[in-house]
Amino acid sequence: MGLHFLPTDLLFLGTLMLGLVYCRNVARDPLARARWAKVLRSVGGGVASLVLALHVTVAVLDSVRVQSENEAPLTLLDHLLTPLRTGVETTYSAPFSTHAYARENLESAPGTWVRDYPRLQFGGRHLVHPEEEAAGDIARRSLRGAAIGLASLGLLTLIINLVRRRPPGRAWRQWFEPAWRWHWFALGILCLGVGIVGNLAGGWHVLGTDKVGQDVLYLSLKSVRTGLVLAVLASLITLPIAVVLGILAGYLQGWVDDVIQYLYTTLSSIPGVLLIAAAALSLDLFLSREVGALHSLALRADLRLLALCAVLGLTGWTSLCRLLRAETMKLRTVEFIASAQALGSSPGTLLRRHLLPNLMPLVIITTVLDFSSLVLAEAVLTYIDIGVDPSTESWGNMINGARLELAREPVIWWSLAAALGGMFGLVLAANIFADTVRDAFDPRLDPAARGTHGLA
Amino acid sequence: MALASTHTGDDFVTIWFLRRLAYVLPILLGVNLLTFALFFVINSPDDMARRHLGERHVTTAAIADWKRAHGYDRPAFINADRSGTAVVTDTLFFTGSVRLFSLDFGRSDGGRHIAWDIRQRMWPSLAIALPVLILELIIAVPLGLAVALLRGSTFDRGLTLLCVASMAISSLFFIIAGQFLFARLLRLIPISGFAEGWGAIKFLLLPVMVQVLAGLGARVRWNRTVFLEEISREHVRTARAKGLAETRILFGHVLPNALLPLITTIVVTLPGLFLGSLITESFFAIPGLGSYTIDAIQNQDFAIARTMVFIGSLLYILGLLLTDLAYAWADPRIRLGSG
Amino acid sequence: MALLEISGLKLVAHAQGRSVTVVESLDLGLAQGETSVLVGESGSGKSLTALAIVRLLPSAVELAEGSIKLGGRELSSLPEREMNSVRGARIGFVFQEPQAALNPVMGIGNQVGEVLVRHRGLRGRQLRERVVELLAAVGIPEPHRRLDDYPHQFSGGMKQRVMIAIALAAEPDLLIADEPTTALDVSTQAQILDLLRDEQRARGMAMLFITHDLAVAHRMADSLVVMKEGRVVEQGTRDAIFSAPRQNYTRHLFAVSPRLSSATLPAPRMTAGEPLLAVRELAVHFSQRGPRWWGRKRILAAVTEASLDVHAGETVAVVGESGSGKTTLGRALLRLQPADSGRVAFLGRDLFGLPPESLRRARRELQVVFQDPFASMNPRMTVQQIIEEGLVAQDLLLAPGARRAHVARLLEKVGLDPACATRFPHQFSGGQRQRISIARALAVEPRLIVCDEPTSALDVSVQAQILALLRSLQEERGLAYLFITHNLGVVAQLAHRVLVMHQGRIVESGPAREVLFHPRQDYTRALIAAVPSLP
Repeated sequence: MGLHFLPTDLLFLGTLMLGLVYCRNVARDPLARARWAKVLRSVGGGVASLVLALHVTVAVLDSVRVQSENEAPLTLLDHLLTPLRTGVETTYSAPFSTHAYARENLESAPGTWVRDYPRLQFGGRHLVHPEEEAAGDIARRSLRGAAIGLASLGLLTLIINLVRRRPPGRAWRQWFEPAWRWHWFALGILCLGVGIVGNLAGGWHVLGTDKVGQDVLYLSLKSVRTGLVLAVLASLITLPIAVVLGILAGYLQGWVDDVIQYLYTTLSSIPGVLLIAAAALSLDLFLSREVGALHSLALRADLRLLALCAVLGLTGWTSLCRLLRAETMKLRTVEFIASAQALGSSPGTLLRRHLLPNLMPLVIITTVLDFSSLVLAEAVLTYIDIGVDPSTESWGNMINGARLELAREPVIWWSLAAALGGMFGLVLAANIFADTVRDAFDPRLDPAARGTHGLA
Repeated sequence: MALASTHTGDDFVTIWFLRRLAYVLPILLGVNLLTFALFFVINSPDDMARRHLGERHVTTAAIADWKRAHGYDRPAFINADRSGTAVVTDTLFFTGSVRLFSLDFGRSDGGRHIAWDIRQRMWPSLAIALPVLILELIIAVPLGLAVALLRGSTFDRGLTLLCVASMAISSLFFIIAGQFLFARLLRLIPISGFAEGWGAIKFLLLPVMVQVLAGLGARVRWNRTVFLEEISREHVRTARAKGLAETRILFGHVLPNALLPLITTIVVTLPGLFLGSLITESFFAIPGLGSYTIDAIQNQDFAIARTMVFIGSLLYILGLLLTDLAYAWADPRIRLGSG
Repeated sequence: MALLEISGLKLVAHAQGRSVTVVESLDLGLAQGETSVLVGESGSGKSLTALAIVRLLPSAVELAEGSIKLGGRELSSLPEREMNSVRGARIGFVFQEPQAALNPVMGIGNQVGEVLVRHRGLRGRQLRERVVELLAAVGIPEPHRRLDDYPHQFSGGMKQRVMIAIALAAEPDLLIADEPTTALDVSTQAQILDLLRDEQRARGMAMLFITHDLAVAHRMADSLVVMKEGRVVEQGTRDAIFSAPRQNYTRHLFAVSPRLSSATLPAPRMTAGEPLLAVRELAVHFSQRGPRWWGRKRILAAVTEASLDVHAGETVAVVGESGSGKTTLGRALLRLQPADSGRVAFLGRDLFGLPPESLRRARRELQVVFQDPFASMNPRMTVQQIIEEGLVAQDLLLAPGARRAHVARLLEKVGLDPACATRFPHQFSGGQRQRISIARALAVEPRLIVCDEPTSALDVSVQAQILALLRSLQEERGLAYLFITHNLGVVAQLAHRVLVMHQGRIVESGPAREVLFHPRQDYTRALIAAVPSLP
């Protein structure tokens, strides 16, 4: 037993650590703290952060790999979902079905063969007479799941109350105040959902199985990591380039500004998809030449994901850079920077104490706004064969595979629905989060920045 | 402060336009250098040959033949074996990239005439992209204006919610769901394909609809923001203080000012107009430039990919120039040369 | 009967779930042909009152109680359609910022004309002739040739004239002017005030004029309404109030309003020996460029051949209108803005020739206080961090305890509670922030402070306090000030010597008494004549 990390695991977890460091800084900066508090207190922002937190948890669990004796390393999530991972059927099966999608030759009695739908290996296996018992079993499991969900909601509420150090009587009532009612409601729905689905998944393929009989729920949960890693790492690559070049151009001006402007005008003049395609294609060739068949399949797939992040990051910095350049130029003439200069502060101090903290809102707004488009881009790029490796679980691969399934009779809709639904959930949460962040961080809307509620 | 140099009238517009043209060339050269680096430096022509001939059982002789046949046997920038201008012209960079400036696109790695292909395929692309652009404008501008006017109402909140939700839906969903619903279940139109002449309409209906729908949410929201900003401007308050009717304020004062940001979004879609939508065309098997590009990418035909990158950025820059011209037309502060 | 009758007006602002009463129980009557001036400091509710009359209040402010009658007709309950035929037709409105109040993409002829189309139904040649007449009446030269010109082709004063033409177009009974000259230079202000006064008399209109400036109020008013924090403090005829104000607040306002009189001038100082700061033939050009890579570069000459001396312990005022280059001059000699040519010697050292490290050290004795109390402090730093910034930069007083004590002393010196040190800038008012700015400059114990319009964003009563603070600091520490301002009244409070700038050049300089009361240059004379004066 030992821990094992792929390159994207390390980078992803490392980025989350950076995020924690940022959180610590926020706790010290009252302005930033007030802004984030505004995001979390708003109904949209609070609920969206809950949903995003759930996604991040899944992705983190799926990024820590445990090396066991004679098997390929499995992630914590794999271990958690062992029944789903190992409950593999031979081929398609519909959600909550007890029988496979296709007929096979079955031995009904010794020596007699009939062509019928075989029972599934996993889905509803525990039932003797699936036709009669299925509905009852599903209802029982749902109820038990709901009960577990409600219990954990109660526990969570209690824990939060204890952490917030409120007397229990008042604290319980507080959840029903208008400001927190919706947060609590959303937490309840999440707990219920996780409880019910978790309980059902113990005996059923809640979202059916795919062509090779893998559980679709398992695949969509694994896809969360791919989507998040892609968006997070691409932003991680974009940020330093955009921030450094944008500040340099705006602060130094002159020929440096000319060169940087030339760079981003040139890069952004190439239509996005084409640039990404060209770069991905080249990187792909490069990978297959350099890495070749030397390493494991998993590592190659991971490197391809990393390459895609790199391509998206290297091609995606231009708009943020342009914005930061303009903002830096504006800030440079703002009076508090001029007066710091007049006091003899060094350029380093100016940058660290004045420029960077005041550019942060713009960086944050742009990053969260771009986040969802990166998640959506994965599916499109995978469709034109320049996305993630076919062996990587991703929504793009699921959609790609599902396109032909729609033409079959009866229609196989569950893979596609799961992939599109999964993407919709993540992207919607990210969009709503981005909107509330923009509202909270846009200095034009921020009264504190202009000091309109001073003591006067 | 006095303006040291001002140009006025036609003279100004001409100089202004020529200046911009002079800046376009370095950008295009940069684009070419970048694509050249991507295609020839990171990957050698040997890699390409191997890709086309199959990864295994390839003799070095076969690779050399393939390279010679496609003109990839030249050195990258300087050909020391030749004399005169051929030192520079008989190189990979010149034949592969600089030649594009004269719109001489050469042949694809598969041996087809690229310019001819493009001439054939631009019409289906335009046949989708133009109606999409027009429909989007017709639907999204009035909707944006309506929600901006009724800001805070149930209509505004509902539509905004709808926009946010539709922005979270992958464009693939619209395509797949559209095909499934209209072509498979209702059997109203063919799933995919294309025909010459007016027969093309039934093939174009769904792709156009799908693309309009997929882009509508973002566009309506953007227009709402633009209009809200314009409505809150002080000169609109002046117009109200004049006692003007609401429609007059809207069409006389808000809309003309909102034109500027709207123009930007329209003109920047120009390369998309011509290049078509990669995904839509490919899904609906429409023989336009979008599917041409996708096919090239999937077949790893670098000559075509290079050409499309070049054309794409050329159109983007033309789009920027047109934006500037349109701004000058719509904004007297720019047209009249100061401010 | 009065034309305009307001009684019991109450306005309530809603923000972040809270409601604040911004105007309360306001009564006001205005007769035909009379000018009433609403005067008050910021937050007095004078502008909101004006907007309430035409029902153009911002969406967060609501008319809670009271009645507004125009010619006996109640306006507050009028249907929107009928209100629309009152606005523009019976009430004309002139806003503060002509730059923002005019539509930038519509010709001015049309902007004036659409009022006539709407309320008078004029068309074609008749319309055109009437617009030309109106523009001529407000003093636009050659109006028939300028009908198709756009706002940006006019200067600020000319734009305000167009705005007045719009307000007068439909021959209203009542003209409301909301700080119509606050955004304008003093010489333009005088012309616009004359224009408004003449038009009001010629047409026999009633005028409601809003201003923060008592001198302007005195020039315009028949009757006066003094407002403070949403309430009327005192009202009456102009002469009654100016000769014998009854309320303390009114008397206080009179006392703190700066006047251009020799009585307040500080005693002249003997300036001998080596100057602290010597500027010789300084020239600054700006180059600007648009957002695109191929954007056009524009070169603007901001300052040409400026020379000046500042001696220890004296105040040199640099006076000029907007665009005269005075702020650029200040920034350039501080090396916050690159200069193109010229020399600046400070304490005998050539500032422009210093290498970066020595320049950083030299900055200690040359400090600055800026105009905008909201932009001049990083919103993310505490007052302690802000004031000790110079100590950090100059490596002074390294022990944290010593720094804290130093900051506490400085806060007391500028009249603030030392406990403020842990708070953030947005928790302070504009005047308090200016005090913090001054403390920040004082922290490194400079010899000279460049004050760039330090009181222009403040109310007059706060301005008086800040000026008093600056004077006492000068007496105590022998500080020298280079005081940049557009306000000649302020100059008369503290300047030993005065420089007048016009279009980037210093046109006149000399002792304050000479320049302010016996100017030699025509420009200076015109500038001083234009300053509205208090009795």
